[in-house]
Amino acid sequence: MMRPIPVICDCDPGHDDAMMLLLCQASPRIRILAVTTSCGNQTIEKTTYNALRVCTLLGIRAPVAKGSPKPLFGQPITAPNIHGQSGLDGPNLPEPAVPLSPLTAVELMAQTLRQSDEPVTILSTGPMTNTAALLLAHPELKPKIAGISLMGGGIAHGNWTPAAEFNVLVDPEAADLVFRSGLPITMAGLDVTLKALITETDIRRIESISGEVARVVAQWMEFFYAFHKSIGYAGAPLHDAVAAAWLIRPELFVTQQMFVRVETQGDYCRGATIGARPGRTDQSYAPNARCILDLDRQGFVDLVCEAVASYGGAT
Amino acid sequence: MKPRCIWLDCDTGTDDAAAILCAAALPELKLAGLSSVAGNVEGRKTYLNTLRICRLMGRTYPVYAGAAQPLAVPYTPAYGFHGENGLGGVELPLPEHCDAPELPAWEAIYRCAVAQGGELELITTGPMTNAAMALLLHPDLPQYLKRILVMGGSATGGNRTPAAEFNVYADPHAAQTVFTSGVPVVMCGLDVTEQATVTPAQLSALAACGGTVAQTLCRLLATRPDHQRGAVMLHDVVPVLYAARPGLFEGRKAWVRVETKGAITRGKTVTDLYSDKKYPEKNALVLLGVDRSGFARLFFRLILSLDGICTDEACLDQIERGALT
Repeated sequence: MMRPIPVICDCDPGHDDAMMLLLCQASPRIRILAVTTSCGNQTIEKTTYNALRVCTLLGIRAPVAKGSPKPLFGQPITAPNIHGQSGLDGPNLPEPAVPLSPLTAVELMAQTLRQSDEPVTILSTGPMTNTAALLLAHPELKPKIAGISLMGGGIAHGNWTPAAEFNVLVDPEAADLVFRSGLPITMAGLDVTLKALITETDIRRIESISGEVARVVAQWMEFFYAFHKSIGYAGAPLHDAVAAAWLIRPELFVTQQMFVRVETQGDYCRGATIGARPGRTDQSYAPNARCILDLDRQGFVDLVCEAVASYGGAT
Repeated sequence: MKPRCIWLDCDTGTDDAAAILCAAALPELKLAGLSSVAGNVEGRKTYLNTLRICRLMGRTYPVYAGAAQPLAVPYTPAYGFHGENGLGGVELPLPEHCDAPELPAWEAIYRCAVAQGGELELITTGPMTNAAMALLLHPDLPQYLKRILVMGGSATGGNRTPAAEFNVYADPHAAQTVFTSGVPVVMCGLDVTEQATVTPAQLSALAACGGTVAQTLCRLLATRPDHQRGAVMLHDVVPVLYAARPGLFEGRKAWVRVETKGAITRGKTVTDLYSDKKYPEKNALVLLGVDRSGFARLFFRLILSLDGICTDEACLDQIERGALT
């Protein structure tokens, strides 16, 4: 048995963040050392409350710490149209039975890195505010970071604006710091996450699994799909879960090493992740990120269902 | 059917040369005039190169010299792709008279558009400086232009920089002026032009069938770096062939804007094609696909027609296979 990968889950739950936490907690390949929250899908108060509720539901006992109420330099942007007023609308959830850490997100990240005897992977599925602040505040801890697996950006896609994906758009300066950090980065951008669809058939399959977690997940997916269906999607894109699935089952994915930079300025391109495809430009650009571009969707759905089923019940 | 009236504005350029030749050869199109702009190489060179290509096919068209500088950014050439003379170092003879008319390109375009009473279609294969100048100086121009077909931009990343295609990068403000002018735009960007290729073997077969025009054009195209890589991208030919034979192409209407201010995205054409965020205003038709075989065969047929050579399907089959006679 391989040693599990120690991770810090930095997220803004969010339906797909919740699914990221579910995949991590259910997998023997991953050990969650800490959960930190960012403001993104909803305000920091709501994403933090959601993180505590999801950890309670899923039995995650790692410390949870609250992040910054706003991006490094800009103002928060929230996505109630997608995740609802609570940030995690749909089924009723248990009230938090796990405590909120007295530390800030950055303090908890730093403490976790210091205390770990092996480098830790940061799994970032919200705006990258906390991770960027950590890099600014504690450059000495960089060697303790094994890499950053993130959901954000898109080489050929935007969603919130034509050029930019939500997580990067909310805090482009933070994303820029992360992409220029020199740390190994795996980017699960829209190029792959738009293909990580949970269809109605898949939702029925989740419903057929017994247990409280399966019931909640099916309702999350119903809620999450309703919005996406209204704008023409064939399923619910489980963006954030892809960044976790990559750590658990890398063989499900197709990746390409690429030079990626974040635009922080511009009239139309703030928050765009610009990738240099090898051979297209005269100049060559040294790759700094592994971009996930495609996946075995059925394998991904199976992984999700297995994770749900691990909470009791049969597929 | 009466041929449609077009104006060709280019920064000649090896693939611009091919575009000029195709525009002259297409029976569906009447080439009302040509103009040159600084782009692949300096404006003086693109003007003379345009004359050289007209002379090559033994035709006389009005040719006007245009902008020597982009509107608001410094000039940047593309010597790496077109050589310092713009024609890959190949020396072609000039016609007897090569003084540029006093009328600048943008005035000539405006006058032609007015004279055609709204039927003129403007094709640009270089930076869009001349078109933008005409639009800036003549606010009534949009009503006289039927549409503007541009080789430029990309919905998914560039060639001059990771974000931007060369022609739009070279004069982003001009491109933004064109895209927001209210005139319908057909954007022939890298999405389609990178598919519009011919192989070195096909060009050799074309030259073997042809006379001076085909052989000379093949010499020009053989100097390009993409020829060495095995597939010559006929970027600038795309808007010309689209103007005559739209059925060879597919595209989608989109909202398109040009980034002029980004730190790393200057000259990026931003579309709402691949985004949840959509805008009701669709100001451009973005070409995304081409019938590659149909495109190449039409190109071969047009070039050979300028040498007075009629081609049958068997002959085109042979060229397409890259087989030498």
